[in-house]
Amino acid sequence: MLVDWFRIKGRSLHSLAFSFHRLTGIVLMIYLILHLTYLTSLRFGKESYEYLISLTVRPETLPFDLLLLLATVFHGVNGIRLVIHELGFVYEKRNLILYLTFGIVLIVWLYAGYLMFLLIMG
Amino acid sequence: MEVEIKVRRFNGEKSYWQKYRVPVLSGMTVLDALLYIKENIDATLSFRYSCRMGVCGSCAVKINNKPRLACETQILQLKDVQIEPINNFRVIKDLITDFDDFFAKHRIVKPYLIRKNDSYEKPVEMIQTPKQLKKYYRYSLCIKCGACNSVCPVSSTRDDYLGPAIMTTVYRFMTDNRDEGKDERFKIVSSERGVWRCHFASECSEVCPKNVEPAKAVQKLRIKSIIYEIKKFFK
Repeated sequence: MLVDWFRIKGRSLHSLAFSFHRLTGIVLMIYLILHLTYLTSLRFGKESYEYLISLTVRPETLPFDLLLLLATVFHGVNGIRLVIHELGFVYEKRNLILYLTFGIVLIVWLYAGYLMFLLIMG
Repeated sequence: MEVEIKVRRFNGEKSYWQKYRVPVLSGMTVLDALLYIKENIDATLSFRYSCRMGVCGSCAVKINNKPRLACETQILQLKDVQIEPINNFRVIKDLITDFDDFFAKHRIVKPYLIRKNDSYEKPVEMIQTPKQLKKYYRYSLCIKCGACNSVCPVSSTRDDYLGPAIMTTVYRFMTDNRDEGKDERFKIVSSERGVWRCHFASECSEVCPKNVEPAKAVQKLRIKSIIYEIKKFFK
């Protein structure tokens, strides 16, 4: 059952990473559709695009932007970790690499979030 | 000292929890507690076991949400005891799950040495160095308890997926210098139901009671499959 993708009770951090990867993948797919919708709006003129941007790029939507940023950073960094392991490398150090992944995600997210905060809040 | 044990029961129609109070002694395993319940409290409780020493893999159950061998889990090391059948297998009764499909998949991958010219009239010694043995030894320790399959998120969504235990067996034979059945097995594991379905949750390695590292075997088998597919393309 699909719900088993998100089963983390009694399991290790690896399962948590797997569940997060699936979840962030779904979030990014929805974002991609929205992003393409925004870009397609350019066909109807500059005004329609700017109207859509004004709906989502504002201080009130900053928390959602930060969550989207977290999803993007996690999916990317964790994806690199998976590629490394799936090519048969550093498998024995998988726990250390998982902790490193979470650490890198946190650092990149906080820094990028800070930049985003400055950009939107001025 | 008495311990309360919660057991997930299934009577063929409905699933429910049942509590038992069991007197425990130092050194007592979860399997000992289940046997105590069956002999003294409730003879209808059903579970599977055989060797009682972590060799046969029959007694794999979910203890406190984690698949373990009941015969190797010390009851006094647990705070509360909650026993359930392992996931991703159909429950037949109480803690007994259906392993027919699991062993059917096992048969598909031919879990034995394949030799092209095997003569029973003139048997030839199949020599192996310790270094060659070391290549697959760890993977030969799999006891087919199904713990790895029970936590695999792909096994839970795809019935046709071979699963980590079966692919570990394949890797074990693929790395054995005496085996000559690589082509036959590659056709199976390099298919849609094989290595390409693994998404590396790596939980299989985390729960393996024999530390066989099924996730590592699957990734190594994936590399072998890539090389096999490239070679096949240029043939």
